[in-house]
Amino acid sequence: MFMHDLRLAFLSLRRNPILTALMVIAIAAGIAASMITITTYHARSGHPIWWKADKLYAVTLDPRDPDANGAFASLQRHPEYPPLQVTYQDAKALYRSDIPTRAVMMFRASRVVAPRKPGEKPVALDTRVTTADFFAMFDVPFIYGTGWSRADDEAPSPVVVLSRYANQKLFAGVNSVGQTLTLNDKDFRVIGVIDAWNPTPRFYDLNNGSFDLPENLYMPFGWTTALKLPNNGNTNCVRANAQVGGFEALLTSDCVWMQYWAELPTATQRQKYQAFLDNYTNEQRRHGRFPRPVNNNRIVDVDTWLEMYEVVGDETRIQVAVALMFLLVCVLNTFGLMLAKFLKAAPISGLRRALGASRIDIMRQHLIEVVIVGLLGGALGLVLAKLGLDAMRALATRPIPGQDDNPARVALQQSLSSMDTQMFFVALALALLTGILAGLYPAWRIGRLSPSTFLKTQ
Amino acid sequence: MIEMHDVGKVFRTDVVETHALRHFNLKVEPGEFVAITGHSGSGKTTFLNVAGLLEELDSGRYVFDGQDVSQLTDNQRSRIRNEKIGFIFQGFNLIPDLDIYDNVEAPLHYRRMPAPERKRRILSSLERVGLASRMKHIPAQLSGGQQQRAAIARAIAGEPRVILADEPTGNLDTTMSNQIMELLLQINASGTTILMVTHNPELATQAHRQVHIVDGKIDQIHHFNALKVVPGGGRGTEAASAGAPI
Repeated sequence: MFMHDLRLAFLSLRRNPILTALMVIAIAAGIAASMITITTYHARSGHPIWWKADKLYAVTLDPRDPDANGAFASLQRHPEYPPLQVTYQDAKALYRSDIPTRAVMMFRASRVVAPRKPGEKPVALDTRVTTADFFAMFDVPFIYGTGWSRADDEAPSPVVVLSRYANQKLFAGVNSVGQTLTLNDKDFRVIGVIDAWNPTPRFYDLNNGSFDLPENLYMPFGWTTALKLPNNGNTNCVRANAQVGGFEALLTSDCVWMQYWAELPTATQRQKYQAFLDNYTNEQRRHGRFPRPVNNNRIVDVDTWLEMYEVVGDETRIQVAVALMFLLVCVLNTFGLMLAKFLKAAPISGLRRALGASRIDIMRQHLIEVVIVGLLGGALGLVLAKLGLDAMRALATRPIPGQDDNPARVALQQSLSSMDTQMFFVALALALLTGILAGLYPAWRIGRLSPSTFLKTQ
Repeated sequence: MIEMHDVGKVFRTDVVETHALRHFNLKVEPGEFVAITGHSGSGKTTFLNVAGLLEELDSGRYVFDGQDVSQLTDNQRSRIRNEKIGFIFQGFNLIPDLDIYDNVEAPLHYRRMPAPERKRRILSSLERVGLASRMKHIPAQLSGGQQQRAAIARAIAGEPRVILADEPTGNLDTTMSNQIMELLLQINASGTTILMVTHNPELATQAHRQVHIVDGKIDQIHHFNALKVVPGGGRGTEAASAGAPI
């Protein structure tokens, strides 16, 4: 019976090819628009480290001046949030706590690798200056070697870890552990090479492009002061008397420029750590810092962190909503076309009823037709969506000098605008739902018609 | 075979109420060939639709093949239509994009009949109407008479108890009409009850009875040929006093 219905459905679709094409195109347009926006949303809204969702916490303190007349509040979208980075002195103080299982203070810098052979050019590498726990805390995979210890941070030891891309570029991809690099006139020994690692979004530092790649060079935090490393990320001075000034001033001022993360696997740890933060700010208040009367210290899980940074962004959500509304318009169009088509073929349905088809038989046959239209629309929609995503990718890909040959970067760009298996099935389900929504009433209506109505006119 | 007791059927719109059948009483015996006549709008087609369970009756009682079908569900009515009733229409009502084989097959599908049995019945009924060689033609490739024969093949493929024919020769010339009538008489002779709406008085006289409807009621009944049981279990006719009302 199903094959019979299937055949009738195809015959019916062939009977009026223009109407069929219009319905398929209407659904395809809606599916394509929806899938482009949903795919973008999906790619941006993924959890970059879901397996540690309840363990990793960004740490924030609020050393801002009181906003007595609301001047800051009027400029900020979320004035209630504390600054999303911490000051150097606070980071150093927090790092002394042994409550977290692991803790990381870090910032983004830049180093230049001197040519290793005559004729080579210096290579600028974006650099993460971080404490030792970074690699274990964020589950960074290594292909060669390993990270450094806390003692290396303290020393600081002249060691570095390279990204896979940097290792490829500097050492042709071979095991470079033990090799020496000259960074801004100082020699460092390579102790590890990171495998492909691309948390999307790059949650641990959302200041410099949420969807950028991780850095290519990692060096111990102790080099911050030893080399007076300049911050290559954002610096915000959150008190009236704080100024960026020179490097020494930056270390003691209320300017936030460091990211701080703590691994707190248990509720007890989180409670103790929250109390520790509050005690710390209370103590600092006695020294004239943290002028706001109420503590606004937060330990924030990754999900909340991404929301606070508005990684996905309202505009992405609005795009999805608009696309879904467009899909609804397409459904309504298809609904009208489907109803017209079914009513036009009502005499044949009446005849089938006379020949013994029940209402359910007629409805099922029409629903199969509807599903076929939905699937055809979905298939065409997927093709259109792919073209749209390719076009988006071409428009969005910004050339970065020296990194255009980085396969990880290409992969990142593709992952942000590619339809994965999950999205493929979402598209199919959406197409089916669209077809059924558009055709359910027409199919039901045809099934309800009195069989005798059209027999004389057939 | 068919018993209608005080059957009424009313069509209502916002402003008009039309009594298509009123106090309609008729009994049709198994194997009978009944011609239904009447002017346009007299209720012939409505009677046929009610008899064929295509329309629900508004009042009265309808017994079909020994079963009261007045209050059946849509599914039950569909099943009876499929298994016990064959329809023939003035406009042939073949599905234009299916070939003749598939057209004849259509009602058998709804009976969920196995494919080999369907095939046997289709071939048999097409042989019977002389269209076996045209089974792969679509309706548009056939003449009107051939299309009506295809429709008859479709009606008999399910081996129904009753065939309801609504002006089956209305779109055909005299020669074709006679051929179709001949075919219907053969089918009736094999035991199938036939109710045929017709405007053609000559054809009506070939039936066992002519039931004349006026304003939704039976006005006259004429017996032309008496129904008789022939030796061997089949059915046949014998001449009766033509025009004599019962």
